[in-house]
Amino acid sequence: MASTTVETREPDSEDPVVELRNASVTYDDGNSYVLDHVSMDVHRHEVIGVIGESGSGKSMLAESMLDSIPDPGVLRGQVRYNPSEGEPIDVLDLTTEELRQLRWEEISMVFQGAMSSFNPTMRVGKHFEETLSAHDADIDEGLAFARELLQDLYLEPDRVLNSYPHELSGGMQQRALIALSLVLEPELLVMDEPTAALDLLMQRSILRLLRELKEKYDLTMVFITHDLPLIAALADRLAIMYAFHPVEIGRTEEIVQNAAHPYTRALLNSTPNLDAPIEEMVPIPGSQPAPINVPDGCAYHPRCPLADEQCRSSKPDYVSVSDRHTSACYHWDDARDEIALNYSENLGDAARSGGDE
Amino acid sequence: MRYYAERVARSVLTVWAAVTLTFGILRLMPGGPLVQLRGQLSRRNMSPEEIENQIAVYRERLNLVDAPIHEQYIAYLSNLLQGDFGQSLKEGEPVLQLIGEALPWTVFVMTVATILIFAIAIVWGALTAYKEGSTFDKVSSVAGVLLGSIPFYVFAFILLLFLAYQNKFFPASGRMTPLTDVELTVGFIIDVLHHAALPIASVVVVQAGLQMLSMRGNSIQVLGEDYVRVARLRGLSDRRISTRYVARNAILPMYTGFLTLIGFNIGNSVILEQVFTYRGIGYVMFDALEVQDYSVLMGVFLVFTIVLVVAVLIADLTYSWVDPRVKSGDASEAY
Ligand code: SF4
Repeated sequence: MASTTVETREPDSEDPVVELRNASVTYDDGNSYVLDHVSMDVHRHEVIGVIGESGSGKSMLAESMLDSIPDPGVLRGQVRYNPSEGEPIDVLDLTTEELRQLRWEEISMVFQGAMSSFNPTMRVGKHFEETLSAHDADIDEGLAFARELLQDLYLEPDRVLNSYPHELSGGMQQRALIALSLVLEPELLVMDEPTAALDLLMQRSILRLLRELKEKYDLTMVFITHDLPLIAALADRLAIMYAFHPVEIGRTEEIVQNAAHPYTRALLNSTPNLDAPIEEMVPIPGSQPAPINVPDGCAYHPRCPLADEQCRSSKPDYVSVSDRHTSACYHWDDARDEIALNYSENLGDAARSGGDE
Repeated sequence: MRYYAERVARSVLTVWAAVTLTFGILRLMPGGPLVQLRGQLSRRNMSPEEIENQIAVYRERLNLVDAPIHEQYIAYLSNLLQGDFGQSLKEGEPVLQLIGEALPWTVFVMTVATILIFAIAIVWGALTAYKEGSTFDKVSSVAGVLLGSIPFYVFAFILLLFLAYQNKFFPASGRMTPLTDVELTVGFIIDVLHHAALPIASVVVVQAGLQMLSMRGNSIQVLGEDYVRVARLRGLSDRRISTRYVARNAILPMYTGFLTLIGFNIGNSVILEQVFTYRGIGYVMFDALEVQDYSVLMGVFLVFTIVLVVAVLIADLTYSWVDPRVKSGDASEAY
C-alpha cells in the first residue's frame, strides 16, 4: 500500500494539485473579506509554506482548499483539484457526499491544536478504524499502513493505537494526528500551524519527521505558519500573506535571500536569525488591517517606507520578478536596495542545516 | 487502588459523622428526650407510676442507658452495627423493620423518576443544542427554567387535582389497590405503576427541564470542540458523530449528577409522599415527626444520609469506568 519510491520526484510547476483562482472568503453578506481574490497553485510533490501574521487570512487559505470555511463564511471563486489520474474536479461544485469523499481521501488537513483533535473518550486506534471505514477502505490494510506511518514517526504503533489521547504527550498526539491525516494516502496534506502548541525542540523534531515522510511518500504539502525560519527549512516555495492575500510568492532561497516586497523584507528583519543579535531585530511598526478597513490601493501602504501616491490610490498587480517569483509591489526593485536585510544571505542554508541535528 | 480505598474511607467517615450527630442531638436536647416525653405524658392525666412505667419503655426503645456518656456512645454504635436502630416509641416495632418495609417503595419511585428525568433531558437537551437559536430551542429553554422553578409539591397538587380528583385517571393515594396480593404478576406490576405514576410525574416534570439545560450546555460546548470538526472532515457519518462524539462527551459530566440526584430525591420524598399518601420512607418520617417519635426520626435521618453517601460512592467508584480520562494514578506520558 505504501508507495516507497527510491528517488524523490521534483516538484512540477506544470502539474498543479490544487489551483485557486480568485478564491475569496467573505463574512457579513460579502462586505468583509478574510480571503481576498487569491490565485495560487500548489505543485505536485512540493511543500509550499504559507507565512503570515495572525489575522492575515492564512488559515482561510488552508480551509478553502477543502471547502471547509467555518460558518457563516462564504467561499467564492474557483478551487480546482487535479487528481494524479482522472479529470480535474471543481471542489466548490461538489455535492455534500462528493465533498465528504474528497476530504481526507484526496486532501486532508492537520489543524493547530492536535491535543484537541482527538475524541477524548475514544482510543487513538479507533480514530484510524472509523476513518478507514467511513471511506470504505480495507481496515486491515489501512491499519497496517497506519502502523508503518506511526513507526516512521518514531512512535510505538501498538502503544499509541491502544492509548486514549490524554495518555499521550502533546508531541505524540501531534505525530499520531499526522499519521491519521495520511492514512488514506491523500494527494495533498494541508497543515495549519501544526506545531503551534509545542515547544521549540518538539517543533523542530516534527519538521524533521515531516521532511522524512515527504521524501518517503512523495507528499505534497501546504504548510501554514507564522514562523518563517521554521518552514524555510522544509518548504520548496514560500507564499507571504498580508491583508488576506499573498503579496509575494517564490522559491524559498529566492525569498529568503532576495525578497522583492517591502513587507517580506520587514518580516525577515523582524525574525530571529543566526546572524542578527536579538537587539537588531526590527519589529514592523503598525499592525495588520482588520477585514472591515483594509486600506485602498496597496494594503501595506500605511506601514511601507516606500509608499507613494500610486501605492495609495491603486492596487499593485503581481509582477514577475524572476523565474517563478512574483511580487505585488510597484517598487519591488527599490525595496531590495532600500530595505537592507540584517543577516548575510544564508538564512535558508542555516535553517536547513539547523534542522538536521 | 489507593483512590478506591480513599473514597470508601471517606464515605465511612461521613456516615460515622452522621451517626455521631444523631447520638449527640438526642442527648443535647435540654434534659434529654425523656423530659419532653414526660411532659407530654403528664398532660394526659396519668398517674406517676404509669408515667414512670411508660418512660422506662421509652428509654428502652430509644436504647438509652444509665451510663457515662462514652459508654453510651459505644453501646449506641454497637447497637447500630448490629442493625438495632431502637424501637418505634409509639408502636414498639423495630425501627429497622419500619424502614425496611417503606424504603424500597421510595427507592423504586425515585429511581424510576430520575432515570426518566435523565432520559428525557439527554434527548431533549441534545435536540435543542443541535437546533441552537431556533424557536424550539428558545421555547425549550424558557420551559426548562419555568418548570424548574416550580416546587415539585405544587405541581404534585395540580396533578392530583386534575388527574386524580376531577378525572379519575390515576389513584389519588396509596402504593397499590388495597387487598391485592403481593406477587410478581403483570397485573400487580401495572397496579403499582399506576399508583406510582403521579408521584413520578411530578418529580420528572419539575426536574427534567433543569437537567435538559445542562445537557444542552454540554452538547453546545462539545459541538464547538475541534475534535467534532475534525471528525466531520474525516467524513464520519452524522449518526456516528452525534452518538460517539457529541452525546457521549456531553453525557459524561452528568453521570455523577445522576446518581447523587437519586440520593437527593429520596430525601425529597418526605413531602412528595405526604401529598400522595404514598407509604414510603418519607411518609414514615413525616408520621414520626408529627408524634415526636425520636427513634424513627433518627433511623430515617441515618438512612437518608447513608443513601446519599452510597450514591456518591458508587458515582466515584464507577466514574473511571465510564470516563477513560479518569484513571486513578495513571499519569500521562512525556515525550
Ligand atoms: S506597492 Fe507601494 S506601498 Fe505597497 S508594498 Fe510596494 S512600495 Fe509599499
